[in-house]
Amino acid sequence: MRTHPEGRTLLEPLDLLLAERRISVIGANGSGKSTLLRLINGLLLPTEGTVAVHGNDTRTMGRTVRRSVGFVFTDPLSQLVMPTGREDVELSLRTLRLSSGDRRSRAGEVLRRFGIDHLADRSSYDLSGGERQILALAVVLATEPRILVADEPTTLLDLRNDARVRSLIAGLDQQVVFTTHNLDFALESDRTLVLDAGRIVFDGPADDAVAHYRQLCSCAPLGGP
Amino acid sequence: MQPARTTVTGTAGTGRRSTRRRWDATDLSLVAVFAALIAALAILPGIPVGPLGVPITLQTLGVLLAGLVLGPARGTAAVLLYLVAGLIGLPVFSGFSGGFGVLAGPTAGYLLAFPLAALVAGLLTLGVLRRTHKFRVVLLFLAALTASLLTIHPLGITGLMINAGLPLRDAILVDVVYLPGDVVKDVLAALLAVSVHRAFPRLLAAKPPLRA
Amino acid sequence: MRGFGATLGLYEPGRGFLYRTAPAPKAVASLACAVAVIAWRSPTTTAVALLLTFGVLIVGARLSPVRVLRMLLPAAPVLGILALYQGLAQDWLRAFVVVGGITACLLAARALTLTTATQDLLDGVVRLVRPFRRLGADPERFALALSIMLRSIPYLAGLFVDVRQAARARGLERNPRVVVTPLVLGAVAYAHRTGEALAARGLGEGDLDEDPPDDRTGP
Repeated sequence: MRTHPEGRTLLEPLDLLLAERRISVIGANGSGKSTLLRLINGLLLPTEGTVAVHGNDTRTMGRTVRRSVGFVFTDPLSQLVMPTGREDVELSLRTLRLSSGDRRSRAGEVLRRFGIDHLADRSSYDLSGGERQILALAVVLATEPRILVADEPTTLLDLRNDARVRSLIAGLDQQVVFTTHNLDFALESDRTLVLDAGRIVFDGPADDAVAHYRQLCSCAPLGGP
Repeated sequence: MQPARTTVTGTAGTGRRSTRRRWDATDLSLVAVFAALIAALAILPGIPVGPLGVPITLQTLGVLLAGLVLGPARGTAAVLLYLVAGLIGLPVFSGFSGGFGVLAGPTAGYLLAFPLAALVAGLLTLGVLRRTHKFRVVLLFLAALTASLLTIHPLGITGLMINAGLPLRDAILVDVVYLPGDVVKDVLAALLAVSVHRAFPRLLAAKPPLRA
Repeated sequence: MRGFGATLGLYEPGRGFLYRTAPAPKAVASLACAVAVIAWRSPTTTAVALLLTFGVLIVGARLSPVRVLRMLLPAAPVLGILALYQGLAQDWLRAFVVVGGITACLLAARALTLTTATQDLLDGVVRLVRPFRRLGADPERFALALSIMLRSIPYLAGLFVDVRQAARARGLERNPRVVVTPLVLGAVAYAHRTGEALAARGLGEGDLDEDPPDDRTGP
């Protein structure tokens, strides 16, 4: 196996076809979850082999892939770049080459759809963590990507906001691939991958995967099966 | 809905950096954030230094850092972006001023010298970092000092003469007051730049080929 | 440093004809003010420029004269010293010409940013850069860089405040290296995070029309 100039292999060789509507990825910190997600939209390119989304290779069609794959990060503040939410959504819409009038009305629609139109003109610094993450989702979904990739979207949120973001994600039409440390959230998916030290150690239905993961970190609940 | 198909095959390493000459999103973001850093340093109250606690403002520190940390191209771009933001009216210059008005003000010469300072500092830095690993702090200090003596002070004096109507002798006297503070800032800039390059070694290093 | 955007002198919603004027004429007028003041250093020019900028702000943005004066507060120390120097070293008419001219230019610039939404200002800049496309300029990326810059100032200012407090807690606030190093390292790290988030959104990679000829081909 060839190694990178920096000599670190982040993900062992793997062969995956991701077609389910809701796919979760669980595993310890540093197990390669984020690397796997970043491969899907071409933020990282594989040192060997190929990654293709709808038949488009991330290496040669990177921009096309990124347009059809939305990516949400753990910390919404590193994702939101404009002073207010409305402007951030309009920035996303720029990639669709709309006129500025169309951008404005589309941005309004998007914010209404996510129930945050009352926050449209507030500074993203003044929003709560949950509001920020919902805004980050709105910003990414404004261009209607066909797939949403979310890297621990609820890790920084309190319980109520965690529930809000999860129900929002559950209601999306898009295919969603997400990582999480919240095993309840993982159970809401159709298929779960368990990663350990850069290797996929389990791939299957969510409940079996969660059981496997609990065993893996020997944190199975007392009195469990 | 058509089931989406994503296939992932193979090994993944950190194959991020390309040898592409065009700036990627990270370069763009570095330029923008350094322009913001210069603005933040210019706006924020100065830091009291030494036993007397004389405050030094850090605007020129930001300018020199852009060159020392980002190199000539991105460094100059960051300073130009900062200037453009100030000139179109955002109050990012010292004392919350901004707008084309500053071109009529006494500090116009200093402002217009900033991109040149970043360019000179950046070029010298590239030369230092690519050639030697020794005495980096001293060499980068000399790079910063050279840049500020060659650009900021002469153009600043010219600006004082034209816009504030000072005779050459008075303009030099006004300018010299800032010299000791500048030397302190040059030392600081060199120390900071060496820390940054140690923490982010790929910022200015010759980009490695993707494959070994 | 919440709400830093407001003190940064950006857009504040309001009424008046300045709000209904397109950004371009306002920018041209602001630039014309600077050119006039630098080109003709005469008491008349300065007086006219001052009257015009004050008048336009009071009528066109419906501000009270006190609010207009308050906008000058941050620049007051520098203007005061300059006026004093000019008055004592040369004469007071000269002081009025120089300092009054600068004041008019500051107000003219403020009139533009006060009454133009940030997004419109950026759209305007994009239009302005568009003719230079042939020389390799990329207006969209330029506007994006400008907005990331604006977005980063409050973040860095907040970081600076935190870092200074941490330094004070350790009794090291007089050591500028301790105060500034975390700020600069934090800025570089923040730039990397933002760059990645931009790439993920498909922004900031140059022309949006096509995939670039890619030299990252595999074996």
